[in-house]
Amino acid sequence: MGYFREAGKIGMKANNMEIKTSWLKSSWWIILLIAAGIAAPRVISEFYLLILGEALIMSLFALSFNLLFGHMGQLPFGQAAFYGLGGYGIAMLLTKYQINFWLSFAAGIGLAALAGLIIGIFCVRLRGIYFSILTLAFGQLIFVIIYKWHDFTGGDDGIQGVFPPEFLKTPVSYYYFILLVFCLAAFILWRITNSPFGYILKAMRENSERTEFLGIPIARYQLVAFVISATFAGLAGALWAPFYRSVAPSTLMWIKSGEPVMATILGGAGLFFGPVLGTFIITFFHAYILGFTHFWPIIMGALILIVIFFLPGGVLGFIKEKLDNRKKKEQQS
Amino acid sequence: MKKLAGFTVFLCILTMLLVPVTVLAGTKASAKDPIRLGAIWDYAGPCYMLSESAVQGIKIAVDEINAKGGVIGRKLDLIVRDTEMKVDVGARETKDLILREKVNFLVGPCSSGVALAVQVVHAESKVLRVTCMANTEGQVVDKFTPYVTQVVPNTYMEGVAATRFMNKKYPAAKKFCTVAPDYEYGRREEAAFAEEIKKLVPDSEILYQAWPKPGEKDYTSFITAIMAQKPDAVHSSLFGGDLVAFTKQAAPYGFFEKIPFIALYDLPVFVALGADAPEGVMAFGRGCFFMDPNPKMMEFVDKYRKARGAYPDSWAVQAYDSVYLIKAAVEKAKSSDTEKVIKAMEGISLDSLRGKFTIRPLDHMGSVPCYQGIIAKDPKYPFKTWKDIVRVPGDQVWRSEEGVREVWKKTGVTR
Amino acid sequence: MSFDVLFNQFLSGIARGALLFLVASGLSLTFGVLRVLNFAHGSLYMLGAFLSYSIWKWLLIPVYGFYVATLLSALAIAGIGLLIEYTILRRLYARGWPEQLLATYALILIITDIVKWFWGGEFLSIPRPEPFTKAVFLFDFPFPSYNFFIIILGLVLVFFLWWLVYKTRLGDIIRAAAHDRDMVSALGIPIPWLFTSIFVLGAFIAGLSGAVTAPYGAVALGMDIEIIIECFAVVVIGGMGSLPGTLLGSFIVGQVYSFGIMYKPELALAFIFMVMAIVLIIRPWGIFGRPER
Repeated sequence: MGYFREAGKIGMKANNMEIKTSWLKSSWWIILLIAAGIAAPRVISEFYLLILGEALIMSLFALSFNLLFGHMGQLPFGQAAFYGLGGYGIAMLLTKYQINFWLSFAAGIGLAALAGLIIGIFCVRLRGIYFSILTLAFGQLIFVIIYKWHDFTGGDDGIQGVFPPEFLKTPVSYYYFILLVFCLAAFILWRITNSPFGYILKAMRENSERTEFLGIPIARYQLVAFVISATFAGLAGALWAPFYRSVAPSTLMWIKSGEPVMATILGGAGLFFGPVLGTFIITFFHAYILGFTHFWPIIMGALILIVIFFLPGGVLGFIKEKLDNRKKKEQQS
Repeated sequence: MKKLAGFTVFLCILTMLLVPVTVLAGTKASAKDPIRLGAIWDYAGPCYMLSESAVQGIKIAVDEINAKGGVIGRKLDLIVRDTEMKVDVGARETKDLILREKVNFLVGPCSSGVALAVQVVHAESKVLRVTCMANTEGQVVDKFTPYVTQVVPNTYMEGVAATRFMNKKYPAAKKFCTVAPDYEYGRREEAAFAEEIKKLVPDSEILYQAWPKPGEKDYTSFITAIMAQKPDAVHSSLFGGDLVAFTKQAAPYGFFEKIPFIALYDLPVFVALGADAPEGVMAFGRGCFFMDPNPKMMEFVDKYRKARGAYPDSWAVQAYDSVYLIKAAVEKAKSSDTEKVIKAMEGISLDSLRGKFTIRPLDHMGSVPCYQGIIAKDPKYPFKTWKDIVRVPGDQVWRSEEGVREVWKKTGVTR
Repeated sequence: MSFDVLFNQFLSGIARGALLFLVASGLSLTFGVLRVLNFAHGSLYMLGAFLSYSIWKWLLIPVYGFYVATLLSALAIAGIGLLIEYTILRRLYARGWPEQLLATYALILIITDIVKWFWGGEFLSIPRPEPFTKAVFLFDFPFPSYNFFIIILGLVLVFFLWWLVYKTRLGDIIRAAAHDRDMVSALGIPIPWLFTSIFVLGAFIAGLSGAVTAPYGAVALGMDIEIIIECFAVVVIGGMGSLPGTLLGSFIVGQVYSFGIMYKPELALAFIFMVMAIVLIIRPWGIFGRPER
């Protein structure tokens, strides 16, 4: 048990340098944002409500990714597979076998978790670039299977007609559903990252050798983190399918896996809400830009490069840094 | 605390900036408001060029109609959106067109897969879409909804017509191979071929089916596998860049001299292949100008060349026809109200660039023609075209109404 | 299945493998020395194809036009590689590999749109150049001579790279730097310029292979994504940063695809990813790779 505390101490040291865990400080603006989220349908048009819903779902996806990237220090490039499996799970059970919505929803998440377990067992044995490439390979493999097995999965047509239950069919009601799930899921993830388990993950990122010497079985912890990440990615996918009433294999391509990566880098990997901010910026910007040009990729690419060079901590990291500097100056004066 | 308040305000402002505040209450559409046309197309992969062509055709039609006073005295507004050939983006952009841009009608897309997903969205919102490119039968047969009309020959019609043409040219052929892009469109067309050839030649067999992925660049292994089977003829639904690559790679093997072959050889393919286009090979298509050089079509060729500096391909032709179909239906209904327009559209006849066709009331399928021919040099143009052209009116090759109802029984469509 | 049919599928696989080797060798070289997995390698390949088409169209020199265009295009892409390395990658060597990877990923997006902007969505085609327009006959079966050209080009590249890496002083430095960067730097050898040269060479190879592919099939958007995935498969199977590994990997991927098509065309693609996953599970650094990191 003492080892736990030791590892936790390493993690906490890293933690204090980046994530402000002070409950009091963070609560104000979180409450404000939640209030804004609840008030949103009254204030903004239906179309932007849809964009907001999409941003929330993709934020969840990005948060699940950042568990592995920001907290654990690994770069998975196959998360879209779990996202897609969540969506396909609910879509297939709902449309092919007419199973109850909530059961299908849970099953979709379960499918993603299971896939995370199976794939994770192989992936966590690797580090660095090999880890990334293996996750990419598995992600593509799952994509190809779903794409090619058109008798079972509908192949490249995808699956249409994924309808939520009656009381969630209107855009406003489904939006509230997304908001609720997002808040709960984000809260759970936040608790995970700020638990002893989370500190150990951080310790592994900072100094994996020392953590190993402390007797922590790295691979096992990484596997648990991998499965958790896959589960939440699957949750995001399961939220998505009934939202636009369909799923398609394109949601599993490795290009899709790149989206939470970009969002996290943009927002800032070191802070819990970094990926959320990054996702919001990208989603709204994307919807806005697509209104008058289809040259979105070059804008996205340029944004990434700018962030890599000038805002290494992401947008949120930059903001926090500025605030901290001002605080330091205040304290000194 | 002051810093935190400042930060919170900053965050709120950021959120506000990203989420424009608009009042929910809309104004009632007045009779003189423009009729808004939403063009949803796929600017990615093999669909990029086709989408560009189609949008050009639409633009010419819209400009023409507006110059003559619009439709029932109202101008046509065109809004174009890109699906990036992705189903999720397509669904989202369709919602954008319907909710934010408040379009009255939709035209597009190119990809059959995107079309099916888009269909769910606009059908739920009760907006009519005319499809002039994505031609999977799934749209009007399996997953029928009254909010779709099709003016491009569907996969069944095209497959059947091409099969009959090939069978007429090579009646002794019994052993076949197929090569088609492995997605909805390819699978459907080859299924139609398989069904029809069995009817025409009961003892025919399909020895091998090649399923390259759409966008495949290297067909060599498929080509050698097909040639190893020594078929009497090969039916293919390859098109666009895929067909270009396939043709170039098959030619050195003497493929086209040895094996009768039919595929979607149309204008963009001929322009790309140039002298490499294999003469004497069979082709099918949907209405490039050289397939149906009637006076109306040739007029369109001039307009198109003036606007774009190129010859119109079947994609532009069909897109142009779609806009005129909408115009005709709105004029017949004397309103842009969707339900009235749908009623007016059922049974309507259009004098299109491809001749006259009618929209069948049962499944909203247009009796649009399918074309076949033989590739040949053409002294009039810098690219090869067809000779021995055959034009098959759609009602000769579409599924009969009983046939459609049979499929509906299986897929649960009630009408 | 008769012998000549099998032999022909085998040859198709060789041709495909040769094409893959042309592209993947650049990727492998860059990774081996710089330890950067250049996601944008496929984009440079695509850019090389489009550029060579335009140059060829503009030059209008009969017979030799293609070869001149290929060379010019490869040089242009090498120049772009220089630009990329100098302005972007060089500043990221001090940062972690994730940033380098992401920068190259961003480059994919940028280059794709550049191609879209200049060439639109058209699919373009160059006819096969003289003298490789017809087929040669092996065992009574025709084999396109252009495929032979590609195979020969591949062999030339193999020998060139082998000579470069194992028989020249530069090669010694390359191999030393791959093992121990700091030591080489301590010996007074300017590492930045070494890295730049290797990256530029990798870019040159990418542009060259793109240009060579143009007459093979069609030049169209999406080429970059397709080829980079297959390249990953090749270098993973063969061993990242190993030249013999890349050769073997190309051969394996080419054959798996070719025979996969013959027996189960729908799954040909899946087979490649399966092999890739199996190799990564059993021997993550590839058949000829060295375990490190």
